[in-house]
Amino acid sequence: MRLLLHLVAKDLRRKARAPFAFVAALSFPILFAGMIALAFGGGGKLPKVRLLVANLDEGVVGSAVVSAFGSPRTAGMFETTRVTEAEGRERMERGRASAFLTIPKGFTRDLLDGRPVTLRLVRNPSEGILPEIAAQTAGGLADLLEGARRVLSAPLLRLRPYLEDGIDSAPADADVVAIALEATHAIGGASSLIFPPVITLRSELFGGTEPAAEDKGGTGSQIFLLVLPGVAVYALFLVAENAMRDVLTERTLGTLRRQLAGPLTPGTYIVAKALYTCVLATAAIAVVSLVGWTVLTRPVSLPGFVLVSMALVLAVAGTAAAIYGLAGSERAGATLAGAIFLAMGFLGGGFFRIESLPPGIRSVAPFTPLYWGTQGYRALLEHGATLSGVARYAGVLIAMGVALLGVGMAALHRSARAGTAA
Amino acid sequence: MRRMFDVRGLVKSYGPVRAVDGVSFAVARGELFGLLGPNGAGKTTIMSMLSGLLPPDEGRILFDGIDLASKPLAVKAALGIVPQDPALYETLTARENLNFWGGLYGLSGSALRSSVDRVLELIGLADRARDPVKTYSGGMKRRLNLALGLVHAPRAVLMDEPTVGIDPQGRLNVLDAVRRVAASGTTVIYTTHYLDEAETLCDRIAIMDHGKILAEGTLEELKRRVGGRDVITVRGAPDLSPLLPRIDAMPGVTVASAEAGKLVVAVDGSGRGAVELLSAVLSSGLAIDGISIQPPSLSTLFLNLTGRELRD
Repeated sequence: MRLLLHLVAKDLRRKARAPFAFVAALSFPILFAGMIALAFGGGGKLPKVRLLVANLDEGVVGSAVVSAFGSPRTAGMFETTRVTEAEGRERMERGRASAFLTIPKGFTRDLLDGRPVTLRLVRNPSEGILPEIAAQTAGGLADLLEGARRVLSAPLLRLRPYLEDGIDSAPADADVVAIALEATHAIGGASSLIFPPVITLRSELFGGTEPAAEDKGGTGSQIFLLVLPGVAVYALFLVAENAMRDVLTERTLGTLRRQLAGPLTPGTYIVAKALYTCVLATAAIAVVSLVGWTVLTRPVSLPGFVLVSMALVLAVAGTAAAIYGLAGSERAGATLAGAIFLAMGFLGGGFFRIESLPPGIRSVAPFTPLYWGTQGYRALLEHGATLSGVARYAGVLIAMGVALLGVGMAALHRSARAGTAA
Repeated sequence: MRRMFDVRGLVKSYGPVRAVDGVSFAVARGELFGLLGPNGAGKTTIMSMLSGLLPPDEGRILFDGIDLASKPLAVKAALGIVPQDPALYETLTARENLNFWGGLYGLSGSALRSSVDRVLELIGLADRARDPVKTYSGGMKRRLNLALGLVHAPRAVLMDEPTVGIDPQGRLNVLDAVRRVAASGTTVIYTTHYLDEAETLCDRIAIMDHGKILAEGTLEELKRRVGGRDVITVRGAPDLSPLLPRIDAMPGVTVASAEAGKLVVAVDGSGRGAVELLSAVLSSGLAIDGISIQPPSLSTLFLNLTGRELRD
């Protein structure tokens, strides 16, 4: 044990003297998440979604949809402008709006008749997340209308003549009473389905996170939180890769050969290097966590966090060991690691939230340790998961870590022995 | 003689190439033993086997009576290694490097500190001990490389061409340190392809070529093996081959090598052969730039044994 600590202390001292790679790897998630947060929520407030609406419908439902985007609940998020179809297209072509919503002609009538209707939303891809907010809101609105249509089908049929003709045509008092009673019964029967409201703009926008008021930095901090787990886990792989690469670096330096000419077995040397990798990865988690903690004050289960972190440390050390064990040279290992980590970053939800990826990629994601690490941290941060809630993620990470570390250390052991014969 | 190393019948092959071919030798305690030979002679392969890094295909190595194959860690703990290329941590200081290597061999506390101070003094780097190694010159790195092999006060040190690629002053410093190590009673096996190093440093020398030991003994013993033959080198016309038939016919004269512009000939030390050779050269009509005569030495012995010169 004394020998192991002696070897690890030497490597840590060397790392302290040349910390660039470690600092760069750690800076990546913080800068990446920080920049995203600044870009989309820097002042604690999202920019408004500039929504163009062309309402070709003459009925009341079309008007209701337009009103929905100007309601007190959504007015803070949307800047709605009524346009004709031609004006809308022209403004979109010039990039003057986040999204363009078209309510088709006969929308109210078709909805009441139960015919399929389509709300058309054209998004401006250059505005990043803002058009997505419009799409989510419009989608939620469509769901609400569909639910209302089904629940209130009977009273709506009685209201149809008035709705189609607009508000100028008023029903008789007796009809109003009958329709109101019918609607009350229908709503009472379906209240559990439609209340609370289907659309909760904030939760859709921020992927189910807690209210921003609980964090220090408002919207910016929430976006920071959205991005941080994935890129932080990705950065951990970079830290581990850099640490484990040291086996081949030492082989090139000649210090590996020299150490193995002393009273040191290749096995002890490799175990020490794995331990060193784990220490560096743990330090990296501590630093990123500290930065996260200064931005977010959300309570997180400490035992759950420690469990996921330790499991992740094992997994990243194992992955790096396997890569460098199988690589023939330092350069080959660095190339292989870069390619694997980049692929994992995209496939495993490091750079994008897994929900936003195509189903094909989502099915591949669970084969990467990055996925389980990211999901574990997200469960802790976004859903308030406890120790038992993250046990599944930690279990998979530990299993992957043990398997990869076994393969990697065996291969590195062989590589170390071969290196001494050079 | 109490043997520190007893090496018997070492063989190591790389594919069809027999890098070490049945090498045997013994080194006494406190002796400075030299392995002299050109690059590719098998010296480094022997050092790798002696240090336990490379298992021999055949043969046995006993260190102070302990079989290296059966107790490698015990033998390694008692050995010091000075590799051909400096193996150092350049971001650490000299003292930190020495602390690490000393600690690897089990030293700690005041014993480690005093040992580090001792070797820093030995190699003359005490005043630069706290500077990062990356700021050192090539010669200073070589000296530190030597010190790393000595910090744990090993019973024997294996030095593999520790002066290759070093400036003349740095070389003198390293050689001086090696002499002081040997003078302290530490057994040293020293490989080199520099004749002067072998001649001036080593108590006994083994001359190697193509994986075999061709001759072994003290410098005087080896010189006697030359049989008092001088080596005459003739430099001149691009084609000196017209001389060869006449030289071959001279008694006591042997052509060692003939190449463009250079002819190397071994002659009996009696003087008669040399006179005949010189008169043949001068009367040949060929353009001659110079003639040199070397007395019996390791160089002439190597020439006699291999038919080739041992070049630096």
